[in-house]
Amino acid sequence: MKIGAFEELVLLAVGSLGENAYGVAVKELLKEKTGRTPSIGALHSALYRLEDKGCLNSSEGGATSERGGRRKKFYTLTAAGKNAIIDANRIRLQFSKNIEGLNLGLDES
Amino acid sequence: MKEQKTIPPRSAEKILNRIIRPDLVEEVLGDLEEKFYATLAKRSPFRARLNYWYQVLNYLRPFAIRKRSKSYSNFTPMLSHNLTVTFRNFKKFKTQFLINLAGLSTGLACVLLIFLWVSDEKQIDKFHKNDDQLYQVMSNHTDASGIFTWRGVPGLLLEEIQSTVPEVKKAVATTDAHEYTLSVDESYIKANGKFASTDFFDVFSYPLAQGDPESALSDKSGIVISESLALRFFKTTDAIGRNMDWHFWGQRKTVQVTGILKNVPKNSSEQFDFIMSWNYYHDDLIEYKQWGNYYARIMVVLNSNSEMEIADARIDAIFKENLQGENVTLFLTSYSDRYLFSKYENGMQAGGRIEYVRLFSIIAIFILFIACINFINLSTARASHRTKEIGIKKSLGASRKSLVGQYFTESILLSIISLFVAFILVWLLLPPFNYIAQKELSLVPDPRLVYASLGLILAVGILAGSYPALYLSGFDPIEILKGKFSRKTGEVWARKILVVLQFTLSIILTVAVVVVYHQMEFVKNKNLGYDRDNLIYFEREGKLIENSEAFVNELKTKPGIEDAAVSGFMVGGVNSTGGVDWEGKTPEDQVQFWEIRSGYGSIDLLGIELVQGRLFSKEFGSDSANVIFNETAIAAMGMEDPIGKTIRHYQGNRKIIGVVKDFNLISLHTRVEPMIFLFNPEETHFIMARLKPGDEGTTISEIESLYESFNPGYVFKPQFLDQDYQALYASEERVASLSKYFAGFAILISCLGLFGLAAYTTEKRIKEIGIRKVLGSGTWQVVYLLSSDFTKMVLIAIVLALPTGYYIGNMWLENFAYRIDLEWWFFAGAGILALVIAWITVSMQTLKAARVNPSDCLRDE
Repeated sequence: MKIGAFEELVLLAVGSLGENAYGVAVKELLKEKTGRTPSIGALHSALYRLEDKGCLNSSEGGATSERGGRRKKFYTLTAAGKNAIIDANRIRLQFSKNIEGLNLGLDES
Repeated sequence: MKEQKTIPPRSAEKILNRIIRPDLVEEVLGDLEEKFYATLAKRSPFRARLNYWYQVLNYLRPFAIRKRSKSYSNFTPMLSHNLTVTFRNFKKFKTQFLINLAGLSTGLACVLLIFLWVSDEKQIDKFHKNDDQLYQVMSNHTDASGIFTWRGVPGLLLEEIQSTVPEVKKAVATTDAHEYTLSVDESYIKANGKFASTDFFDVFSYPLAQGDPESALSDKSGIVISESLALRFFKTTDAIGRNMDWHFWGQRKTVQVTGILKNVPKNSSEQFDFIMSWNYYHDDLIEYKQWGNYYARIMVVLNSNSEMEIADARIDAIFKENLQGENVTLFLTSYSDRYLFSKYENGMQAGGRIEYVRLFSIIAIFILFIACINFINLSTARASHRTKEIGIKKSLGASRKSLVGQYFTESILLSIISLFVAFILVWLLLPPFNYIAQKELSLVPDPRLVYASLGLILAVGILAGSYPALYLSGFDPIEILKGKFSRKTGEVWARKILVVLQFTLSIILTVAVVVVYHQMEFVKNKNLGYDRDNLIYFEREGKLIENSEAFVNELKTKPGIEDAAVSGFMVGGVNSTGGVDWEGKTPEDQVQFWEIRSGYGSIDLLGIELVQGRLFSKEFGSDSANVIFNETAIAAMGMEDPIGKTIRHYQGNRKIIGVVKDFNLISLHTRVEPMIFLFNPEETHFIMARLKPGDEGTTISEIESLYESFNPGYVFKPQFLDQDYQALYASEERVASLSKYFAGFAILISCLGLFGLAAYTTEKRIKEIGIRKVLGSGTWQVVYLLSSDFTKMVLIAIVLALPTGYYIGNMWLENFAYRIDLEWWFFAGAGILALVIAWITVSMQTLKAARVNPSDCLRDE
């Protein structure tokens, strides 16, 4: 499973939000953790792509008034999604070993 | 509550809604809105809106955009569903379906027939490859009674045009087609032929099967004959170089076949079997080669259409240079217009056959409309049977659009089936139709017919389907399913208005037919001032030129013949002249006289009444310097006491010996014109005889054997004067009989609709009828109750239709100089007819309903 860098971040955000991962919440978390402010379009495009790849599942939640009575769509990480994160990390680490004087802090992970 | 709540920009939302995949909309808009309020809490409303717009525009990515085809992904299953439902409905409401089918298919059959006829009419003379640049030179003759437009022009014009008008690429002079006798050895055949100058085949697209089109007509003794004529004479089409004799009156010429013409196509307005050289005609046959003699028909091909006016002016200028003092103007008109736009009034183009083309097109639209109204009325009337279906579909989420789609599927399917049936009907009706219309139409699949059929399917489908589709799909599902559904009065009104409209159109057509019929009867039986019954005539040819007197005397002795004479009389006139001068004539007195050559007894034979003086007679010695006028001519010359006065005719001075009562030579479209009878028995073209009524067949064969003994070899071809006269009105006659049938169909279709509606209404009210009967109502009261509604509608239609019919009838009658008055009973008759037919139609249903046994219809409650 190949995923892009932004997609990886989205997966991480969805994973860390647990049961409460929907569009706006993911966006807020991304901003908080990475400083990025992707447009909603960019974010949704990533979410749908990941869903297509099988990394995410989605379900519809209840409607709230601040959304103009529209339902939220909640995302959860699938096993494939978790594997994708692990794969991506492993590739990065193995690759970075070849760079001298670069320590990615393997111990911390 | 906040004073003014800031909300996300709705227009941005709309854009998104329109463009984005429907399955994403909920989530996206939700997220956007949440984001919007989050921003709003921190920043200004402006920033929040701006941000919203930014997010929306940023959302327009390929993945999110609605795929056109995808939104119709259920098209095929829906179509098959719609088709199933449609077929079930057809099956369930068989009467309605059959009425619709019968109405629409007869309507469509009429429309198709009219279409075939109209497109055939429009094709006539259009097949020449030069058609766009092909013009005919016409002449306008102005005299005291107005402008008379004619296609005759001086033959000398041809060379002048060819040498001095640079805008003209090619010019050709011809004569009109005329019947001549041709012979090879001892076999004689009468055939239509004309004379034409050398460039004829360059200007017109009549292909030659053999021979050189460039030179076939340049030799004076050349003749081009059609394949069929070649087959008749020589039993082969390979006849180049063979000799034959051409005869006309006293002339005889041996000619050699220089070309074989493919048979002239049916869509040529002029039909002919042979062409001879203009050089021969012009050099040897025309005695008066002058600019005032209008014996030629000249057609020109221009280099380009934009030069038409220059060419027109130049040609007229050439003519005026050569002939001063005549009130004649030459002008150009498109050659192919001469068929449809042949009528001129006071020098201006004033319609012609095109009027019939338009008339029939309008009738076609009327009929189509009437047929569509049936469908609309029946479907809306039956709608109550289908309200549940609509309610359930709607509450299960069917959009209005898909319901509209369903009804259109229904109407278009019906129109396809109807068109199919219509084609079968047309196929069956074409032979009689062709017979009446004198056409050779056929259902060959050419592109125009295909387009027309597709167009018809769509037009009928949409026209007939639109009202039910839009109306039925607009029902409120809640009301329907609660059973609270009630018909709006508007709907009933709409239906009534449509029925009224239908009947109005039908009655207008009926009135038109009645008017046309009576005018035609009037024309046929009108006393023209001469007695045309049992009058036959045939051409003087061969030996009959010298021996005509003996022949006529022989004829007079036959028991079956009342009288006989040589005669130059012909229905429609032969020759007209302005070359008559009289005492006191001023330059303004331009009078055109119809010339009629006569011998002894020709005028008496025609039964023309003498007013003053005497007719030509042997008792008074030679009459060759004497003439007879009709009353109109005397009045036009302003003469009092004309007998004995002398006039100057272009052939010499003549003494007036008699005046005859006016009679109508041309046709009832025109008033009586001035006429002059010249005594010139040698140059009369015909021998005329009046048969005794009773045994005409035997008499004619007796004449034939006499003819053969006098004039062996020549073809005896007698013609009835009365038939010639009828032929003048052939196009009116055809239109009259065709429109009769179409009006009949229109009424039939209207009645089908009425029948359907009546069936429906009585069915709806069957319980009411049952109760009324139980309470003592009689059959006739019930019939009255049910019929009064329809009667009212038809009455309104009558009130609307009669003035319109009166107006249209008057307009048509203005074409005739002699016409009937519009009688009140034409209209009363048409109205009563419509009413009676409507009653009969409705009573079929109402009587059935009124006779119903109340216990049958009330049992289930």
